[in-house]
Amino acid sequence: MPTLSDFKSNIVEDAGKTDYYARRKLVVQAKNKYKSPKYRLVVRFTNTDVIVQIIYAKIEGDYILTVAYAHELPKYGIKIGLTNWAAAYTTGLLAARRVLTKLGLADKYEGVTDPDGTICPIEALDDAPRPFKAFLDVGLKRTSTGSKVFAVLKGASDGGIFIPHSENRFPGYDTESKKLDSEVLRKYIYGGHVADYMRLLQEEDDEKYKRQFSKFIEAGVSADDLEDIYKEAHAKIRADPKFTPTQKKGDYKVFKKFTKSRLNLKQRKNKVKQKIESFKRAQEKDDE
Amino acid sequence: MLKITPKNARTRRILQKREPKIEENVKTAIFIRGNKTNQIVNEALTDLCSLKKPYSIKFSKKNNIRPFEDETSLEFFCQKNDASLFVIGSHSKKKPNNLVFVRMFDGQVLDMIEVGIEKSIPIKDFKTRKCSIDVKPLFIFNGELFESSQIHKTFKNMLLDVYRGKTVKSIDLKGLEHVISVTAVSNNKIYFRVYIVQMTKSDQKTPRIELEEMGPSYNFVLKRTKFAKEEVYKQATKVPRTLKPKKEKNVNVNEMGDVVGRIHVGKQDLSKLQTRKIKGLKRGTDDDFEKTTQDKKQKI
Repeated sequence: MPTLSDFKSNIVEDAGKTDYYARRKLVVQAKNKYKSPKYRLVVRFTNTDVIVQIIYAKIEGDYILTVAYAHELPKYGIKIGLTNWAAAYTTGLLAARRVLTKLGLADKYEGVTDPDGTICPIEALDDAPRPFKAFLDVGLKRTSTGSKVFAVLKGASDGGIFIPHSENRFPGYDTESKKLDSEVLRKYIYGGHVADYMRLLQEEDDEKYKRQFSKFIEAGVSADDLEDIYKEAHAKIRADPKFTPTQKKGDYKVFKKFTKSRLNLKQRKNKVKQKIESFKRAQEKDDE
Repeated sequence: MLKITPKNARTRRILQKREPKIEENVKTAIFIRGNKTNQIVNEALTDLCSLKKPYSIKFSKKNNIRPFEDETSLEFFCQKNDASLFVIGSHSKKKPNNLVFVRMFDGQVLDMIEVGIEKSIPIKDFKTRKCSIDVKPLFIFNGELFESSQIHKTFKNMLLDVYRGKTVKSIDLKGLEHVISVTAVSNNKIYFRVYIVQMTKSDQKTPRIELEEMGPSYNFVLKRTKFAKEEVYKQATKVPRTLKPKKEKNVNVNEMGDVVGRIHVGKQDLSKLQTRKIKGLKRGTDDDFEKTTQDKKQKI
């Protein structure tokens, strides 16, 4: 039985950022159904961004099929709060619509156009190819109930990708009754929890509200606008999920270099010579 | 061999997985650098390792290993990593671009074959599509030496062992992605090539197949060997009785390819033979018989 270190050769490069046990289980395809590679919906969070990639593995390394970032969302009307639950959902939706457009499945698998917070995995249609299947790769993130990782999953699933999952990690899931409150999940999808907090702060502590939601106030977004903003964004994504690269300002090929260029032999000799002379001068001064 | 007694449930589970089984795990291979290597050997080790993914471990540091002189460190690595295959790379003036393939059995070295790389092209120099992780390769062994010569036979066996992968009952045709072709050119030269299978549409049901070289590509020269002792080899290749297919009796395949079965019928008990029932033959006592005939006569 091989240990966790089956991809040990890469360990030096990625500095403990991979769960190799999970990776192996996610990458290896079942033997008798092969061919189509096993796709992973890789979800990673930074302080200011959500990264959603669809990745498959080959022997020489991983290949990325598509990628979607939360920082693309301003294009769809979500100007702020790019790492919250609703934004993560929207990024997942964007990734799903993008990959399906790329594969030509977008019209056949629409997913859930009007999410109501219930769990509904994509089912295969009779007259179309089977749905695009991917598995959630959470990396080293804790998979606690309500985690934003599952927001991306929900978004991608509603976007028309088949991702095997159950309801027990979504916000609104009650561990005791083992049931999902779809109202709560729906609220999270449209940023309702953020709106609630905004209203609460406005009532109780206006100063804190101004501090906490300063960017929202700057952008002129109030608690009541949020739901419409997300709804509109979802519609816009469905209309055009294509990736458009940003226009680079200036000529990036001639950016200033910050590394020092090496001295040539003449310069080096000159440098040594000067050092010796300055040392000598210093000594003469001491003698005097 | 050192016996470890597990102290908690986790280690017990790990040890249980390593225990000998009726259906063994996929063999793990360790790719390891000797005390001096060059770029050719390093690249060869990475490429051979990547073909074996995910059942491969690549050691990135140098190790002072001389497999033909001292086997203790191999035994140690074998036990530590639960790996029974080794590929050791080294480079010296006397033995340039050297690879040693080692097989272990029961924690001991079973056999070894040393090859030198005469010519090599690494995977990255082929600008083609590459195969996915953990797919079963197709193997072609060209040259009759693979049937006749002992060293070739062992080398073939060893390569099959390394790249065999998991045993499966069925395979999707499209899951066959690459072909490993091994050619015995002369008595001590072997060409190792890997091709990727490209399936294109054809008029028939089966797709049209084209091969494109994917890499790596090596010209090997056979060098030193250490074969397994006969009794150890016998033990190593022993198939447990439960795995052996049951002998089917009295079923043969004839020259035409038809399955022919023979049936042996036991001796028949003729006394219980059922024949056609005729009223006249109906069994009865003799008195009865006379009586009925008399009755008939009277009526007449």
